[in-house]
Amino acid sequence: MRFRRDLPALIGLGIIALTLVAAAFAPALSPGDPVKNRLFERLTPPMWAQGGSAHHPLGTDTLGRDVLSRLVHGARVSLLVGLAAVLVAGVVGVGLGLVAGYRGGWADDLLMRVGDVQLAFPVLLLGVAVTAVLGASLTNMILVLGASGWVTYARIARGEALSLKERDFVAAARALGAPAGHVVRRHLLPNVLPPLMVVTTFSVARTIIAEASLSFLGLGLPPPTPSWGAMLDEGRNYITTGWWLALFPGLAILVLVLAINLCGDWLRDALDPRLEKGIG
Amino acid sequence: MRAFLLRRFVHALVVVWGVVTVVFFLVRLTGDPAAFLVDPTATQAEIEHTRRLLGLDRPLAEQYGDFLLAIGRGDFGQSIQTRRPALGMVLEHLWPATAVLAASALLLSTLAAVPLGVLSATHRGGWMDHGSRLASLFLQSMPAFWLGIMLILLFAVELGGLLPAYGSGTIRHLILPAVTLAAAPLAQNVRLVRSGMLEVLGEDYVRTARAKGLAERGVIYRHALRNAALPVLTVTGLSLGFMLSGAIIIETVFSWPGLGRLIVQAVPGRDFPVIQAGVFVFAVIFAGVNFVVDVLYTVLDPRVRLA
Amino acid sequence: MTRSIGIFVLTALLAVGLGPHPAHPADPPRVVDGHPIDPDAELVVALADDTNNMDPRIGMGSIRSNYIRQVFESLVDVDAAGTPQPGLALSWKAINDNLWEFTLRPNVRFHDGEPFNAETVLFNLDRMFRKNLDKWGIKDVAAGTSFEKLYPMVTKWEKVNDLTVRVHTSEPVAMLWDALGREPLVPRASTIKSGVDALNERPIGTGPWRMVEWKRKDSMRFERWDGYWGPPPLVKRMRFQTVPEGAARIAALRAGQVALIEAVPPIDAAALQREPAFKVVSAAQKLGCRLYVNGRPKDKYDSGGKDGLFADPRLRLALNHAINRDAIIKKIFGGYALANASPVATVMYGYAAQEPYAFDPARAKALLAEAGWRDTNGDGVVDKGGEPLMLQLLFPAKHYGQAFDEMTAAVVEMVKDVGVGVVVKPLDFGTLLQTLTKGTLPPNGGFTACRTSNSVDAEDQVRDWASYTLVNWTPFTPELTTLYQASRREPDPAKRLRILADLQRQIRDWAPVVPLYQEIKIYAHSVRVLRFAPLPELHMDFRGVALRK
Repeated sequence: MRFRRDLPALIGLGIIALTLVAAAFAPALSPGDPVKNRLFERLTPPMWAQGGSAHHPLGTDTLGRDVLSRLVHGARVSLLVGLAAVLVAGVVGVGLGLVAGYRGGWADDLLMRVGDVQLAFPVLLLGVAVTAVLGASLTNMILVLGASGWVTYARIARGEALSLKERDFVAAARALGAPAGHVVRRHLLPNVLPPLMVVTTFSVARTIIAEASLSFLGLGLPPPTPSWGAMLDEGRNYITTGWWLALFPGLAILVLVLAINLCGDWLRDALDPRLEKGIG
Repeated sequence: MRAFLLRRFVHALVVVWGVVTVVFFLVRLTGDPAAFLVDPTATQAEIEHTRRLLGLDRPLAEQYGDFLLAIGRGDFGQSIQTRRPALGMVLEHLWPATAVLAASALLLSTLAAVPLGVLSATHRGGWMDHGSRLASLFLQSMPAFWLGIMLILLFAVELGGLLPAYGSGTIRHLILPAVTLAAAPLAQNVRLVRSGMLEVLGEDYVRTARAKGLAERGVIYRHALRNAALPVLTVTGLSLGFMLSGAIIIETVFSWPGLGRLIVQAVPGRDFPVIQAGVFVFAVIFAGVNFVVDVLYTVLDPRVRLA
Repeated sequence: MTRSIGIFVLTALLAVGLGPHPAHPADPPRVVDGHPIDPDAELVVALADDTNNMDPRIGMGSIRSNYIRQVFESLVDVDAAGTPQPGLALSWKAINDNLWEFTLRPNVRFHDGEPFNAETVLFNLDRMFRKNLDKWGIKDVAAGTSFEKLYPMVTKWEKVNDLTVRVHTSEPVAMLWDALGREPLVPRASTIKSGVDALNERPIGTGPWRMVEWKRKDSMRFERWDGYWGPPPLVKRMRFQTVPEGAARIAALRAGQVALIEAVPPIDAAALQREPAFKVVSAAQKLGCRLYVNGRPKDKYDSGGKDGLFADPRLRLALNHAINRDAIIKKIFGGYALANASPVATVMYGYAAQEPYAFDPARAKALLAEAGWRDTNGDGVVDKGGEPLMLQLLFPAKHYGQAFDEMTAAVVEMVKDVGVGVVVKPLDFGTLLQTLTKGTLPPNGGFTACRTSNSVDAEDQVRDWASYTLVNWTPFTPELTTLYQASRREPDPAKRLRILADLQRQIRDWAPVVPLYQEIKIYAHSVRVLRFAPLPELHMDFRGVALRK
């Protein structure tokens, strides 16, 4: 594989690995407590700025909580939500798409209509509704993001199913009396997976940003759990007096998503260089 | 052809109906606008009275039926908070505020993409190419609202108010929100134009044209660009949808008085009529644009016949 | 002889000519405090939000009051110290236990020329109590306060003459002047003619300002009304500009785009104060923010058979002693807030200062132990009978502003420090209201919320626990109910103040809620603005405010 020659992708992978490690060992890497308030230390700048201290390398927020610690703990949320939501969206989407594509007819039509309605529906509203009815929590956040992302997977899976179901090996399996479920699982699914891998990678990136957006609007996890989006939201009110509060969580998101996108680009190039470029 | 158009049109209608129905029931699950209108020291009886006045105590099916009939008349009811016609409020906020913002961002993200993408393709491998690809990657990897906040930090705070941080009214107020909204689509379009150009620049008829001695620029723009246009067109159609939903967050960050912000503000107060009217308008625009893109695609590329 | 008379007449004429003249109402002063003023100027004020309505009946919250009270007035006015003053009523008195009489101000006109008199008041009372709406041909509106439910003991109102109105009650209502007196009054003839919806579009009041233009969510323009009964504003035009972000308001003030801003965030007030071009003023408000906890009996809410966990006053007192209000006020509000242990705001009529709840975590733990809650398993959370003491805190995030959200986070940690576990559930305000309306607050539930008042009299704030409302989760004991009723009924003002003081002390000791802070509102204006004095009310008063040239 050409991986070793593709420096950007290598860097991307490295960053992802670093983030995973940071998330896994967050407590060990935190100089302070991400949750406990220390009102008398609020709004200390990062250590290289005037008034900062090595105690709090990236400063403290409005309640005196160490920013670096919150950043590192927040990585957990971002990664968890990103991966889990994509998993939910993928499983649901691929499942529905394969079935609809294979069956065709009214099932296919229904799926497409529902998918279109889903796409036209503002995610924000869904977020508010779910938060209102079920409360704000990790699970609900994953549900909301999964619910808004399944359509892409469904479409790809459906497309593949449509084009594959007329192929010889499928016809042969059916002729041999294999039940539909078996055909879907053994023959369609493996062929659907490669294009899905690329989409999944970009999906994780998009979901991490979407989680930040929802948290930014106040629909995220309950405080005091640190999440990058919520940190951005808090920081937004302190642009003049606490610029570091908005800068670092955003940088963290940028770096992680960039890394994922780099890997996704490489993956796409490796799997099929003729796949349309630039759609991310 | 006509049957195809009709089917797509009906499809668009169904999508709008679906969205509106989901919103109708969803918001009613989430809260009670009557409680907002009364004092927190109100008793249950007062709240019930208010609900009666707002027509919210009738059975849900009845409310839904009335709602659908009223849409036929273009009547989305009165905003619960301001007592003004909900659809009127929504259209007021859509035009000019959100329309201007979305249009500027759309223009910026498509028009600016062309020269950048072309330059990138023609100087492939050069610093310009690498630079624009890197920038594109960065822009597509950051949350739009963070970009907005950083731009505010840079232009409005650090550079001493070079550009205003909030509000609307002048071109200066439009610059930061439009740039923020256009950033990610611009990045995507640049990559599309670049790859479309690259594909074509290596092809036979371009080489022939070059061999014939036609001016380089003529070659590039006439043949290659047309090839790059098609994917950009599709993406632009989808971009509009992105613009509209992105506008919700951007308008919040910049306090831009548009439709996105109206809906965001209507939700906490459970202003059902405004939420319903706003989502309806969004859905109509979204479905409408998709319909137009489908039609254009069919016209431009007869090989494509969508199901 | 003729010469002396001539000199005398000349001197007399000169004396008359040069001596002091009675002020001509059409000649506003040109100099205020030694500064020449610009009477044709436009005073631009930046507010955090636009109002939703101009019809006072629909609601009088803190933003709306600002807009509505420029155009409309009420029977009772309030000065900068919070003392009730004659407004549209010159005086009011209780003639006997069940009868109040209001004497109205003469020669007052609405902006369209309609005279203000007893008929106006009767019409407004009908609207407030939802009576005779069919007779007037006006429709009912979803109102902020329903007088007929709040004051069912008010039975009828009648006109004695053009300037006197009498209101009958079925039992003594000591603060009726306040209950009826703070509602802004609308004109009778034009409301009947144009309907109540027109009140929103073209509000016509008796106030010093006429609304001339309203761009929703953007700005509202006023013009001085020269037919005003009182001291006219010293500026001709005024514009309220909606600027939602605090930082943007400050930027606008600095850029000279606005002359006065409200709701300055505390962290910026200190910086502004150091600049000589601006003046920062503040006033205590009636808004109090509290932690409410569930102390309702099981049959009074959707309880699943359990009484509210916090029905025991010792638990609530423990929570009160767990909070370091000083730190919150200093660090989060920059000193711009008050700790007030009385249920009544410091600026209300009838307020009696109470012993503050000391920040004493040891005492809090002792109280918890006294109530049977101890940390038997060493997990940091007290428990009883195997059940940990957990508070499910419903918190309306982003509803009251940044400082409130930070304060809630700080409070959560302080509560945890004394051994009470806390699970924070941020919701949006609508959902919180839904929960409170439906009564689905869990038995160990609580919420943080703020409560303000449109009234002057303390009664409006002590009645919170008298009947089952959205915010009452710790209803009065029978003793407190009796005392509360007595305070409502007592006709002798001095005696009533003593009863109110006693009631406040007992409420403080019984601790139905955990008071967190009382708001101090901060305003900032350019030094060009003269004589602006903030009120302890929900609105700003611009009568007498001038702009330097």
